[in-house]
Amino acid sequence: MTDTNPLERYSRQMRFPGLGKAGQEKLLASRVTLCGCGALGTVLANVLARAGGGFIRVIDRDVVEPSNLQRQVLFDESDVANNLPKAEAAAVKLRAINSAITIEPIVADINRTNIEDLCSGADLILDGSDNFEIRYLINDVAIKHNKPWVYGGAVGSQGMCMTIIPGETPCLRCVFEAAPAPGETGTCETAGVLAPAVNIVASYQATEAIKLLSGNKQAVNRELISLDVWENTSKRMKVAPLAGRKGECPCCAKRNFEWLDGAHGTQTTTLCGRNAVQVSHRAKGKLDFAYLASVLKQSGEVSYNKFLLKFQLVENGDPYEFTVFEDGRAIIKGTSEPDKARTLYAKYVGH
Amino acid sequence: MAIKVQIPTPMREQTGGKAEVEVAGGTVKAALDDLLRQFPGVGPKLFDNGKLRPYVNVFVNDEDIRYLDEMDTKLTDGQTVALIPAVAGG
Repeated sequence: MTDTNPLERYSRQMRFPGLGKAGQEKLLASRVTLCGCGALGTVLANVLARAGGGFIRVIDRDVVEPSNLQRQVLFDESDVANNLPKAEAAAVKLRAINSAITIEPIVADINRTNIEDLCSGADLILDGSDNFEIRYLINDVAIKHNKPWVYGGAVGSQGMCMTIIPGETPCLRCVFEAAPAPGETGTCETAGVLAPAVNIVASYQATEAIKLLSGNKQAVNRELISLDVWENTSKRMKVAPLAGRKGECPCCAKRNFEWLDGAHGTQTTTLCGRNAVQVSHRAKGKLDFAYLASVLKQSGEVSYNKFLLKFQLVENGDPYEFTVFEDGRAIIKGTSEPDKARTLYAKYVGH
Repeated sequence: MAIKVQIPTPMREQTGGKAEVEVAGGTVKAALDDLLRQFPGVGPKLFDNGKLRPYVNVFVNDEDIRYLDEMDTKLTDGQTVALIPAVAGG
């Protein structure tokens, strides 16, 4: 850009009294870690880059696919044709939008071994992910290292978001103590998703980010927002009094970081020479095969017996076969890459 | 007038597609018992061994029952009980 005044591009939002020049300068000096760059993540990155978030670390393990284009606003057909990782494709767009800020793309699977590094130095962690494993990891890291984070989720026409400020608001585990077991809630692959639902949730999240990063913590929403764009409902649920859940929350009251310590979550093992990966899930309870089959039959061939469920699908021309066991463990044939297997598991079996 | 229970999308297959169900009961527990009596299929979606599933929250008029009297929270006719499970996708 040829502007002599580098702040000119932010003039309209600086004119907003809540932000002003002081708020803009804080925003420009801020650092954000964005966990996931899919539907929520692309909206978050787009808004923050335009608003002048000074440093954005964009982490995603996936590659842009045709089915992403309906809602993942930073991607286009050329990204699909070039088989680009989402983090890299997003970085190109974000740098073209705003060359005055720093974008750091990282193509990686976020897990308990790397998340503390990925979030180090960040003033704020943003949830652009599509599964609860990452969200509980973010929650653990945020509470452990005293960083705020913003949860967002969307499926079908519904969405939800909540801002977590350690020591001030309830944390994710105060509100949702445990993740749904695999197969128990819909994912965007099994239940579908409308782009506006995701856009609205991510826009709420981005607003919270702008408040926090510009020094306007007092303006943060401390309730759980729950909305449905098809049924025309929007609610704010009072969860604020749950902070630390009267000393009972395993995470923010007792400081047991169970997801970071590996007591929950998934683990992958590549099965040598079989072009297959085993995804283990440390969940309690048994899977309901009848229910999971009813959900998966929209996406491929399903059959099950007392012991296991078989699910075959073709994604972008590649065939995969899932063998899912009652305890949530799955062997996914058709790939030898743990990241791909985790992605497939999160998409179809879910968290 | 009765108590209204709002049914989240993932549990509507069990309520014949109904988004809202009228129940009777003076407490949250009694209201949910009546819901399960009318729609037994909701049971396993909502409870695990008699305990509310940890990713489902119950709100009475937009307040979390854990801040009120949990399952003993008193209800009066016309109030709304919302069942809100965590939303996973994104």
